Amino acid sequence: MNPEFERNVWLELTPRRVLMMAGLLALTFFAASLAGGLGWGLSSVASLLYYFIVVVWGSRNAAMSVVGEIRDRTWDMQRLSSLGAGTMTWGKLFGATSYNWFGGALCLALIMVNVATQLGPVTAAIEFVYYLAIGVIAQAASLLASLIAVGRRQAHSRLDLFVYQAVGLVAALVVYYVWSAADPVAAMLSHKPATDFIPWWGRSIDARAFLLASVAIFASWTLLGCIREMRLELKMRNGPLVWLVFLVFIGLYVAGFDAFLSADMKSWDAISLRLLLALTTYAILTYLMVLLEPKDRVHYRWMAGQFGRRHFLTALKGVQAWMMSYGATLLVGGALALWLLHDAATAMAGQALVLATLGFLTRDVSIFVLMQTLPGRRRGDLGALAILFALYVLAPAILNGLHAASAMYLFFPQLAAPTWLGAAAAWIEGVIVLGLAVTRLALVERSGAKAAA
Amino acid sequence: MAGRDIVIFLPDRLRVEPGLMIEVEDLVYEYPTARALKGVSLRVPDRTITALVGPNGAGKTTLLRCLAALEYPYSGRVRIDGRDTTQSPREIHARLGYLPDFYGLYDDLTVRRCLSYAARSHGIAPGATSAAVEKAAARVGLADRLESKSGELSRGLRQRLAIAQAIVHEPKVLLLDEPAAGLDPQARRDLSRLLLALRDGGMTLVVSSHILAELEDYCSEMVIIENGLIAGGKAIKVRDDERPRYMIEIATKRSDLREFLVGRGADVIEADQIHALIVFTRNPGARAKLIRELVAAGFDLSSFGESSKALEDAYFAQVGRRP
Repeated sequence: MNPEFERNVWLELTPRRVLMMAGLLALTFFAASLAGGLGWGLSSVASLLYYFIVVVWGSRNAAMSVVGEIRDRTWDMQRLSSLGAGTMTWGKLFGATSYNWFGGALCLALIMVNVATQLGPVTAAIEFVYYLAIGVIAQAASLLASLIAVGRRQAHSRLDLFVYQAVGLVAALVVYYVWSAADPVAAMLSHKPATDFIPWWGRSIDARAFLLASVAIFASWTLLGCIREMRLELKMRNGPLVWLVFLVFIGLYVAGFDAFLSADMKSWDAISLRLLLALTTYAILTYLMVLLEPKDRVHYRWMAGQFGRRHFLTALKGVQAWMMSYGATLLVGGALALWLLHDAATAMAGQALVLATLGFLTRDVSIFVLMQTLPGRRRGDLGALAILFALYVLAPAILNGLHAASAMYLFFPQLAAPTWLGAAAAWIEGVIVLGLAVTRLALVERSGAKAAA
Repeated sequence: MAGRDIVIFLPDRLRVEPGLMIEVEDLVYEYPTARALKGVSLRVPDRTITALVGPNGAGKTTLLRCLAALEYPYSGRVRIDGRDTTQSPREIHARLGYLPDFYGLYDDLTVRRCLSYAARSHGIAPGATSAAVEKAAARVGLADRLESKSGELSRGLRQRLAIAQAIVHEPKVLLLDEPAAGLDPQARRDLSRLLLALRDGGMTLVVSSHILAELEDYCSEMVIIENGLIAGGKAIKVRDDERPRYMIEIATKRSDLREFLVGRGADVIEADQIHALIVFTRNPGARAKLIRELVAAGFDLSSFGESSKALEDAYFAQVGRRP
């Protein structure tokens, strides 16, 4: 047995706790059956309990599986073990939540019996996969969030823990919301028709099959993300390949939903819409990753040194996810700008907006890096977010108040007169902030080297 | 086939200098706010106990964490048993035991389960785990506490359990950060015996502390680290079981004391006109002969004994100041 899983089971599944969980659930189900009878009423209570035990409580325990080790000063001992990243990840993910899965299994058994009796075994099997997937996604997302925070050497207060749990809950809510549209049980209970088909890459695909496959694939990506973060904790280097494959996957996946935009953007053809969807996804990923990943100047200098010595393969191992996402955004943005040339109606305005978006993205990621080089860099990300709030919210509000809305193009992608002005302003700002960030990094290194000497 | 040599070419990462377990070359480590190690180089021989000493904040813990492959160096190289920490961190983790200065235990698990987990997570097969657990527990004197919960142990026993967890997989290298902090005199003596036994069993130990007295009993080498650098630039041999240190004292000043001792085969570490700190053979006959020759040469010999403060003497001889 996986030693990490076994250790967690020793701590979690003590006979006293097992009896307590089984007894409490039995009493609750008995009370529910007395109040509402057997059938959907009891099944709904079991479903609610499942969400609470596996999703809400389980995501907290998943986040605690690493944070608790750091708090109790046992994490270094675990990092020094010879367990692989995968073994450590699944041992923690399913071990730390084994008590939750025990309670969840009791609830799930009751739900499955009811669904199989009322709607048949096929629907019961689909529901079973859904319940498992939503639990795994919520817990894995919380674990991933906590591992990312560990990599950033953040504090592990109760608030931090709540944030990691919240990440899991948000992931579960997204799955719940999306699945509800196609779920026959939800449709029956809400008396609304379930979505039967989803348009994707120009085809109509069975909604339940598509959503189940999507949930399973995203659960796999989340687990893979956990393993990769765990690798970093175990001092193993991650190459860029997996994130690049993820970028290709997510770009293709999201681009397939162009049909949802075509009604609102009739002047854009399918390829433009697909590129736009991929561009937007990559830009969001760039912002997300530049916020989450540690922007360590020591690491950046190491990378620059490796590139300088032409150790390209070694240097590529240090390339961060936000850098690759930024590169993908530039690539797809460039492709979209070129593609828009073929349609005179959308060419100028569309190109200007796309290029302005890329310029402002360059400015914004440079702000994140720049803020890490300034004094008080521990709160650098907070400072960067404050600047972005000022640029995207406060400044436009002030301009509106001053009746100077025509100058908005200076702060975010906006059409200007002449058309190229917005893109030019964005790129000038981007290059200036990028230059400042690089200069600050070089200056900090020079002063550090002098102090060491 | 007679007379033909078989030559095996090993990759560079597996080439190990005989007798050398830890090799650090020009190690630089940076925290985001400061450079903690500024070019540390040292070599630790196999089957020795090396004291890593220096004031608080000198970089001892950072150096130990780099040795344990828990931190990547910014530049330079660390090799443990011939393996580079940046290239084979997990191979090194498997060969290493590490006791941090602030460690935790699973308070709700019994000693047996704590040790079983440590053994299994270090790759010991399920069938061999029980024997490994009992051996480690016996080594640290916890054999009769296997069914006690670790949260119920005293501080000294918790320390023993932490060490047992670090050695249950028989590592080649054991790194200990301030292992005697907070221990009573008896527990310190037990710790000292245990570390010597581990060395004799084949382990190489590096022990960090800023309290020299606690290292005195078991360390044979010393590395002084100050402000992120090795003071003096290299490790110092402070104890040799075959050639211990002796302190000689004479009642009447003689300016030729050093010269006389050198002439009799002693390695003189420090000497003035009244005292001399020397390294000399443990052989009783040879020592008796040296004493006779000193007396015969007219030295007013008032004291001749094994130095009990070898580490402290060596430290201040290197650092060049006393408190």
